[in-house]
Amino acid sequence: MARRHIETLLLLAPAVIFLFLCFVVPLARLFSLAFTDEAGPFATFAILADSDVYRRVMVNTFLVALAVALITVVLAWPVAYILTKLKGFWFAFALYGVLFPFWISVLVRTFSWMILLERNGPLNRFLINLGITDKPLALLFNDTGVMIGMVHVLLPYAILPLYGAMLRIDQRLLMASDGLGAGLFDTFRRVYFPLCLPGLMGGATFVFLLSLGFFITPALLGGSNAITLSMLIASFINDRLAWSLAAAASLVLLVVVLALLAATAKVLPFGKGMYAK
Amino acid sequence: MRRRDFLMSAAGATGVMAGLAPMSRRALAQDRPFTFTSWGGALSNAEKEAFIDPFGKLKGIPVINTSPTETAKIKAMVQAQKVEWDLVDVGGRTVWQGGKEGFLESLDLAKIPNAANLEKGWVSPYGVATSTGATIIAWSKSAFPEAGPQSWADFWDVKRFPGARGLYKYFYYNYEAALLAAGVKRDEVFPYTTEKADMALAKIKELKPHVTVWWGAGAQPPQLLSTGELALSSAWSGRMLAAEAEGAPVGHTYNDGIAWANWWVIPKGAPHRDLAHEAIDYALGKDQQAKLLSLKTYGPVLAAATEGADAETAKILVMNPDNVKNMLILNEEEANKYSYEYEEKWNQLMLG
Repeated sequence: MARRHIETLLLLAPAVIFLFLCFVVPLARLFSLAFTDEAGPFATFAILADSDVYRRVMVNTFLVALAVALITVVLAWPVAYILTKLKGFWFAFALYGVLFPFWISVLVRTFSWMILLERNGPLNRFLINLGITDKPLALLFNDTGVMIGMVHVLLPYAILPLYGAMLRIDQRLLMASDGLGAGLFDTFRRVYFPLCLPGLMGGATFVFLLSLGFFITPALLGGSNAITLSMLIASFINDRLAWSLAAAASLVLLVVVLALLAATAKVLPFGKGMYAK
Repeated sequence: MRRRDFLMSAAGATGVMAGLAPMSRRALAQDRPFTFTSWGGALSNAEKEAFIDPFGKLKGIPVINTSPTETAKIKAMVQAQKVEWDLVDVGGRTVWQGGKEGFLESLDLAKIPNAANLEKGWVSPYGVATSTGATIIAWSKSAFPEAGPQSWADFWDVKRFPGARGLYKYFYYNYEAALLAAGVKRDEVFPYTTEKADMALAKIKELKPHVTVWWGAGAQPPQLLSTGELALSSAWSGRMLAAEAEGAPVGHTYNDGIAWANWWVIPKGAPHRDLAHEAIDYALGKDQQAKLLSLKTYGPVLAAATEGADAETAKILVMNPDNVKNMLILNEEEANKYSYEYEEKWNQLMLG
């Protein structure tokens, strides 16, 4: 074996061993639980297939994740663009503005939103004083509250990959496009936007996948219908103590996500997003 | 070395490590001090001061108080034969789940003679109640400055008591509240039947448009009531009492309250099983039970221990005869049944 290969192997080994022991093995054990129900190896899947609740929660969770990914990317775009244009103090200031929420626990941030969005809270009082609305808006304990809370938590995950992609765009390409007679819109559509796409897709994918696992934010800001898959799985584990059912539900989620990502990767330049050049 | 060979050797290494681990685990379990686990917050403080620390002092042994308690964790510890908790405070549902699934020690009541002084409902083969609380009706004083609702029928009456409502996010407590609101007599709420459960669901469906919050954390009702976000809500008594002591503009009544207990159980295979039995017996002693009075959140489970309470404290004790006669005592065994059998229907109702 060539020496180069041994080196590669040794360098890879720590990460591979770590991932194998701490991720692959537990995951395999968890999924093997799905087939251990007393009523037969596939009994848990039959329960899930029969459950109207599981189906509806699954669909809800995916729709919310999709909506959050879309909103987040749209909001992240201008922020990432401005970040590439700022220098010195203002750049540091804006970057810390993006990063700062990372250092505060999701629970604290969610409780803060509860206080801000209340019927008698500051946001509603502000809107009423401005005369935009005369009755307080219902911003809490419904889908609006869930969206606001989730988008806020996930925004940095969309901004950073997008900023990275924008930063790597060679400005001379834009000048060349300009020099060749393309208008502002054409340059954006045919040069700038395609070059941002890897970062955009990477960010959107991050946000979508993280949204699928959300738990605290929908539980505290949502209404009665804000049941997510992770809440349902947690209730299988903690309240019903049906671990094989929880394992089956997790397995189905993983398979659906992988299938969905594989399908998306065929249509969109998703692969590039993960390791944009 | 090809990738596959490498993975094989990695798998071999895992095997070695997995072989080593259980030995050290077992050695650790025997050496560790007597460990008590509870919910945290006001209840854990009460139990530590009234029961666990004095018990350790009496026996001359070190004790550990930890939190939070979790049913799934007990089950996992027992399955892994690595039981880190000797005595655990749990909700009533866990006592019957644990008996059925076999992750709790069956209690030797001969070693807990004080349990004989409790009312029958507070003692079960797998757990004993050691303190009491209730799910009660609470309201915001900005919505009802004079007097709030005094029964679940009032709570359901949206004309007399208008405003946003809060209820617990599971069928638990709501089954009882809805049936009482529908006029079912207290002694007819249990045993649960499918007719009664369906009736309760219909009653909750009727109120659902007025329920804005389905709370899951005990801290939510006092907070949402004090800001006026909710006009009225079901709530845990200890949390309301603590909020009122801090001056929050909220009110409550024990009338029509649903009384429950904090149950102590022993995980199967706990190394300090005998000490755990002794600790339960100690906590049920009259002096220890009376110590809960001064904490003014969760009360004694022993009715005799409420005698020494002053008038103000007596108002907040579930086991005070004047209070308990207007309350329903939650039958945890039945509640476990309807929670399990009606989970799907309940979630359907929630999804709307």
